[in-house]
Amino acid sequence: MALFAPPPMYADPTMAADKQHAFNPYSENGGSILAIAGADFTVIAGDTRQSEGYSIQTRYARKVWQLTDRCVIATNGFAADGNNFVKRIKQRLEWYEHAHQKQMSIKAIARLTQTMLYGNRFFPYFAYVILGGIDEDGTGAVYSFDPIGSYEREACRAAGAAQSLIQPFLDNQIYFRNQTPAPGAEPFVPGRLPLSTVLGLVIDSFTSATEREIAVGDGLELYVVMKKGRTTDDLVGSDNLIKNMQVQELGALGEGGSERTFLVSLPLKRD
Amino acid sequence: MNQLHSFQAVPSTRNAFDAYSTLPEPPRPQSTHAPRAHTQQPIVTGTSVLGIKYEGGVMLAADNLASYGSLARFKDIQRLHPLGDNTCLAVAGDMSDFQYMTKLLDATLRADRSVSLTDTHPPFSPQNIYTYLSNLYYARRSKVNPLWNAILVGGWDKEKKESFLAYVDLLGTTYSAPTLATGIGAHIAQPLLREAYEAKAGVDGKGPLLTGQEAEELLDTCMKVLFYRDARSLNKYQIATISNDGVKISDSKSSETEWGFAEGLRGYGPQTQ
Amino acid sequence: MFLTRSEYDRGVNTFSPEGRLFQVEYAMEAIKLGSTTVGITTPYGTVLAVEKRVPSPLIESSSIEKIMEIDAHIGCAMSGLTADARTMVEHARVTSQMHNFTYDEKIGVESCTQAVCDLALRFGESVEDDDALMSRPFGVALLIAGIDEKGPQLYHADPSGTFTRYDAKAIGSGSDAAQQSLQDSFHKQMSLIEAHTLALKVLKQVMEEKVDENNVQLAQVTPEKGFTILGEDELKRVIEGLAA
Repeated sequence: MALFAPPPMYADPTMAADKQHAFNPYSENGGSILAIAGADFTVIAGDTRQSEGYSIQTRYARKVWQLTDRCVIATNGFAADGNNFVKRIKQRLEWYEHAHQKQMSIKAIARLTQTMLYGNRFFPYFAYVILGGIDEDGTGAVYSFDPIGSYEREACRAAGAAQSLIQPFLDNQIYFRNQTPAPGAEPFVPGRLPLSTVLGLVIDSFTSATEREIAVGDGLELYVVMKKGRTTDDLVGSDNLIKNMQVQELGALGEGGSERTFLVSLPLKRD
Repeated sequence: MNQLHSFQAVPSTRNAFDAYSTLPEPPRPQSTHAPRAHTQQPIVTGTSVLGIKYEGGVMLAADNLASYGSLARFKDIQRLHPLGDNTCLAVAGDMSDFQYMTKLLDATLRADRSVSLTDTHPPFSPQNIYTYLSNLYYARRSKVNPLWNAILVGGWDKEKKESFLAYVDLLGTTYSAPTLATGIGAHIAQPLLREAYEAKAGVDGKGPLLTGQEAEELLDTCMKVLFYRDARSLNKYQIATISNDGVKISDSKSSETEWGFAEGLRGYGPQTQ
Repeated sequence: MFLTRSEYDRGVNTFSPEGRLFQVEYAMEAIKLGSTTVGITTPYGTVLAVEKRVPSPLIESSSIEKIMEIDAHIGCAMSGLTADARTMVEHARVTSQMHNFTYDEKIGVESCTQAVCDLALRFGESVEDDDALMSRPFGVALLIAGIDEKGPQLYHADPSGTFTRYDAKAIGSGSDAAQQSLQDSFHKQMSLIEAHTLALKVLKQVMEEKVDENNVQLAQVTPEKGFTILGEDELKRVIEGLAA
């Protein structure tokens, strides 16, 4: 049958001209997101700049959202799709809570995210999604997704405009790529760094990305999800605070007394 | 990615016949059997609109022109649309979609008002109207049949006693900032607005805001600059002031312009060499 | 021509002036004609037992299936019109699989039971775009046993779409006597073996025939193995224990 197939559309100049004028339902709004898992915490961060081309649309638009007491979501790509995807996820979480009388685990949210993204396989949400939080064993967890729902659990992930700047740095610092333990020293294990180190890596990642990537900057919002009962001294202890950094604890969403989520905000360069 | 800017200029991929993008009509496929197409581009368009928060509320600005390609087709069109007592829209892009959208919103508000005669509930806040618009525009883009506009929503929230200013466009893209501008205004006016806003409020926005008079003078300046630089603009515009006292839309006004310098420009006046 | 109740047991969704739905009540009656079925919860798992009526020696008793698996961690036993139960179990299975597919986790026992009960009420005239599957209520009751993060559980789902959680429950023709003897003998710290024995002891009391491996069936849901139907050898061992 293929033998008799009509010539492709682009062979017809009138149709080709038509294609040029077709409405493009997507845009790309810059920014970057990042998540790193620790043994008993996870850090999920995103800058607050929203841009299109060379224009900064706003210096403050959120990309990171708290979903449950132990899960935070970050989206990057086309902002309208990202925001609407988060809205739909939140709706599903509420339905689930009504139907099953419990908050969804991060593992369940990850699978739900896949089904929802893949459900739009032929008109995708143009959103790169990262989930961060605490899993059912109390371990830090990061899940990353592509826009059509492929996903995996990782120790860390960067996405967005500065992915190509940040991810190699994370590969080196989190996965210890191209590092060799000193003779007789313990072997490296990813996902075990202390919170203060991880916070430093995240902040340095974003300040560096701000220097070299025009779509990144203005502000940083960094969520820290901590395992139940874990000390918070290494975050709220004032000597750890960077200049202009603000820390705020977000209240429990479900029946409380378990994991705790903190929001850390600090400015990034605006140029 | 740049369809936003095509309010002013029809895409540049035209043939030599329309090298200056003067025609808004879409190219028609040769075949008469082609399916009915959804909106592919705007036809009668309004150019950019501006918005800024000031100390007692929000101000919006829009000129009175509706263009047909490069033709200044309608020169007395109001592109500021009040909704209820505390909200106002400033709309750029396709004017028929603008009229359709306002008809829809007016009907919704009217229905709500009639219900409020027998039931007591607060009127729509600016945020309510903005969320409705965002959902409408995102839903239409998701049907690949967009309403071809970029809209600024300005308002005064009576409950929270604070001003509201946000943007939504044909893609369902949303954002909020203390100063906003659409289309070519995002390139020409927004830097002026931000500079003046931050000069008083500071980069963190925590300082004092511009007074009503300062804000209006700033918008006058920006509209003048836009008239100088935007080929699809008109020196006849209105300013909406939204405050606790309600929505006030000014009469149309013009900027004082100076064209004397143009005589010296090569290509403007009669050539001397 | 009209007997008592007559006008109000025509439409399946017509209330009588006393506020009763006769067709639903008749469906509950159908269960009382069914074979006796018992469920018992222990800290170590939940046990299900059914009587299989084998009216003729020419019947292949293994073809009588009254205990069915819903998911690896949920099973159910039935009493009443067992053909109707197939529809319910099919729905429960699909719901469980869909949950597992969508959320990468096992469905809760209560959620699964709720799904079955949602189906149970979908009878009568269909409204536009809500297609009722049945023209009448289901004529069967289920004992749904399972384990999830809340531990071993047992639910009773009836044709009215109501479900209730029990420590131990009997349904079917001998249910009144069986429930009484469960109430007398049940205690919270039962072992699985004790539960097997109690379940068969209760069935034995209400059965006309002598209990053997062909006319009863035993199943359990345990944290280790999930849902399993006891094999002939295990069943024989429990029956032997009964005599002693």
